[in-house]
Amino acid sequence: MPAVEPQLTKRFGLKDGHTLKVYLETGGYASLKNLFAKKPAEVIEEVKASGLKGRGGAGFPAGMKWSFVPQNTGKPIYLAVNADEGEPGTFTDRFMMYYDPHLLLEGIICACYAINSHTAYIYVRGEFYEQIQRLNAAIEEARKAGYLGKNIQGSGFDLEIYVHRGAGAYICGEETGLLESLEGKPGKPRIKPPFPAVVGLFGCPTIINNVKTLSSVPWVIANGAAAYAAIGTKESAGTHVFGLSGQVHQTGYWEMPFGLPMMEFINNYGKGVKGGALKAVIPGGSSCPILTAKECEDLTLSYESMRDHKTMFGTGCAIVMNEHVDMVKVLKNLTHFYSHESCGQCTPCREGTAWEDRLMKKILDGEATTKELGMMLEIADNMEGKTICVLSAALAMPVRSFLQKFRADFEKYCKPAGVAVPEAVS
Amino acid sequence: MAKITIDGKPMEVADGTNVLEACLSNSVHLEHFCYHPYLPVAGNCRTCMVEIEGPKGPMLTIGCNTKVAEGMVIHTDTPKAKTAQKSALEMLLLDHPLDCPVCDKAGECKLQNQYMEYGLYDFRRGVPRYFKGGKAEDIGEHVMLDQERCVLCTRCIRFVDEIPKSSELGIVSRGHESKITIFPDVRLDNAYSGNVTDICPVGALTLKEFRFKQRVWFLKKAESVCHGCARGCNITVEHNRGRIYRFMPRENAELNKTWICDEGRFSFNYFQENRLEEVRLGHATSNLSDGIAQLANLLKDLSPDDVAGIASPTGALEDLYVMKKLFEKRFRLKNLAAPFWGKPGDEDKILKLADKTPNTQGLNLLGFDTEGKDLLSRIEKGEFKVVLIAHNNPFGQDEERAKKVFAKVKALIVLSVHKTKTVEAGSMAFPVRTFIEKNGTFVNATSRLQRFRQAVEPENPDIVEASLWMVRLAKALGATGFDFEDSPSVFNAMAKEVGALQGLTFNKIPATGKVLDLKPLAAEPFQGVKAQPNVSGKAKV
Repeated sequence: MPAVEPQLTKRFGLKDGHTLKVYLETGGYASLKNLFAKKPAEVIEEVKASGLKGRGGAGFPAGMKWSFVPQNTGKPIYLAVNADEGEPGTFTDRFMMYYDPHLLLEGIICACYAINSHTAYIYVRGEFYEQIQRLNAAIEEARKAGYLGKNIQGSGFDLEIYVHRGAGAYICGEETGLLESLEGKPGKPRIKPPFPAVVGLFGCPTIINNVKTLSSVPWVIANGAAAYAAIGTKESAGTHVFGLSGQVHQTGYWEMPFGLPMMEFINNYGKGVKGGALKAVIPGGSSCPILTAKECEDLTLSYESMRDHKTMFGTGCAIVMNEHVDMVKVLKNLTHFYSHESCGQCTPCREGTAWEDRLMKKILDGEATTKELGMMLEIADNMEGKTICVLSAALAMPVRSFLQKFRADFEKYCKPAGVAVPEAVS
Repeated sequence: MAKITIDGKPMEVADGTNVLEACLSNSVHLEHFCYHPYLPVAGNCRTCMVEIEGPKGPMLTIGCNTKVAEGMVIHTDTPKAKTAQKSALEMLLLDHPLDCPVCDKAGECKLQNQYMEYGLYDFRRGVPRYFKGGKAEDIGEHVMLDQERCVLCTRCIRFVDEIPKSSELGIVSRGHESKITIFPDVRLDNAYSGNVTDICPVGALTLKEFRFKQRVWFLKKAESVCHGCARGCNITVEHNRGRIYRFMPRENAELNKTWICDEGRFSFNYFQENRLEEVRLGHATSNLSDGIAQLANLLKDLSPDDVAGIASPTGALEDLYVMKKLFEKRFRLKNLAAPFWGKPGDEDKILKLADKTPNTQGLNLLGFDTEGKDLLSRIEKGEFKVVLIAHNNPFGQDEERAKKVFAKVKALIVLSVHKTKTVEAGSMAFPVRTFIEKNGTFVNATSRLQRFRQAVEPENPDIVEASLWMVRLAKALGATGFDFEDSPSVFNAMAKEVGALQGLTFNKIPATGKVLDLKPLAAEPFQGVKAQPNVSGKAKV
């Protein structure tokens, strides 16, 4: 891979890198000059041309999303920053906010200017206490220095940013669940349509972007769309902070352009698999379909390669498992997580996730036969795509991929076929 | 109008209709559960799944939250849609207690009905049942909550948020541990709380007044109109073996939608208690024929000027009409009035009106003097020997005043439903039927002429409609033109005479009533409640 200057992590490890002083010394807020020289529509076009995709998991083109905001409703437009990083196995946004909060603020200024918003909310996961303190301190510093508030740097553009502390529910990372929570209601995703770009926070047009998406924007504005699009692969422009956890010798996160082969990532950055041969990788957070060691051989860290392997790029944080890992226990962990985090609105998710979890317990207890495995697959089909949000799909995908790719692990727990198992009665 | 295709059949529906209503109004059955035509769409039960063709092929979506668009192609019966509908139902029933034999909702339970219509799969759960717990929680003055039957459709929550706007109910906990409950230190005691039990699709919310009283399949139903105030909400009187078990709201999109207030809902016992059962002549009891004969005997010798009449807005239009005719033909019309004795009750901007009588506008229609000051002062002066009081209860409502007014009257003839103080004060009392025992019409405060049908027949044949009692009296007094057999024939005769009723017959009155050209006495209901424009009248309410 060609060496690329870090865009997102260049102040990581710098002494006082989170302060405005160091931020300005290292080229911070430099994009604003370019930004205010352009018209908002031009900024959107620039970001569209850069190929920057949403880093939250779905990978929706950021510029495209911004262009959906209607400008003629007469209502205020809001930007909501999704900093509710809660996907199991994902741990990069927290460092972005901790080490370089001003970069996020600069990204928010760019985005708000583009969509003509004057109020932004950063919805931060409740557990990120230090990050919240640093964000608030950064906002205070930026306001004093004229990077926030009225007439930012003489541009005539006004912007206020507020930090909202979440209460630690996974579902509040779903964009409309986040909006509900921000409005002070239980975090239950909204039925769409209407979409939040038209009817969002407090009934006004709202854009919801992930921390890393917004942190990527200042570089695009400062260096141009073409320069950004030149980094990475054809469909995955730019750099990303990739995370690695699980059974590798070196866990952590690294910023690099898209396109690195997965095995290189595990072996060179992760220093190889710990405790045995590679068995499986969950490539982008727990809701992505799991991949076998063989599938990882020609996998690269990019949206398109993940798609070709019938999984998802997700958050770009991989979980590595060695040959001794019991896939049944892994899946039980996931079914427990998703059934616990289901908001309980839609029938298929509310009942389905819990049903899967109860069946997993039965399998782990050695009470099940292969009939239950078939049931689990059927329930997964009956959940996915039938609910308001994608939480049910986020469990259905792992269930299906685990059972298809590691069926032998599950069959070990099952009673031999033909043995009648009496139906459990309450 | 939008041209759409449902299951291969082209059809046209109004713009802005949702797919579910479009299906139902075109005889395409589509399962639905959380959807209520008069509440905001929640889209959480996921049973009304349909496939809609789009640029990326058919897409599975819910019908209730999808508006029709020109050229839309909808499939309700593809394998994918059918599986989605069926599996959602399976999940709704997953941990349901199936205590139908002891559940009051059995027989009108949407879960039961939908299973029979769309489910019929083999049961499988494979794991022990999850107990949500909470049997018979007392959550309000009228409402009990059986937590484990709840399917979390949130209809009740949406109701308390949208209609009374009192928001006592909410969901606590998450996922399959979610529970609907009242907030701490709050009870479900709003003036419309009974409605949550109607819209609860299962037996989770039940009425204390109806629990374990009657299986719903034994109940016979009669279309009726609430008697509790001048709003005239449409109701169904549900009865069995001559006993009323409940009043249920009857859908009328233009009036009460599908709601009624608790005051009206629980008024049914009022019509079954403390009834006047026998004809009273002084201290003796008698029968109707003797009573009428004795009364006719008394009146025969008097001058027409000696008799005054006091009607009431609680009487049906037919009662008022015959009474008016009686005074016109046999006595003096100027000696008939319908003075108001009671005090106004409480009102709100939803349905309840301060006028707690059902037919004040009917009095206006027939030209009654609704103040009657002149008549009362003349009665007080002793100008009348006999006063006929129909349905009114002056002694019960203002005893002191009544005693003063009627002090000089020789004979007070009382027609009454209940054993009232006026009955006690009267020299003759005749029992008459309530609105649940007869056919008739009321005109509500917003000038809507509405018909109610007889639900039960009183055991005692001497208890007759006030209108037919007047007919018997008129005949006994030798008056002509009183050839009425029943209330409908009275109405039909009245319709020929009263301009506003031209062209109507009793049976031709629409089930939801007909607005007459009269100045309304009150504002339209549901002030400040968002309208749901999307009603086909076919969705289950």
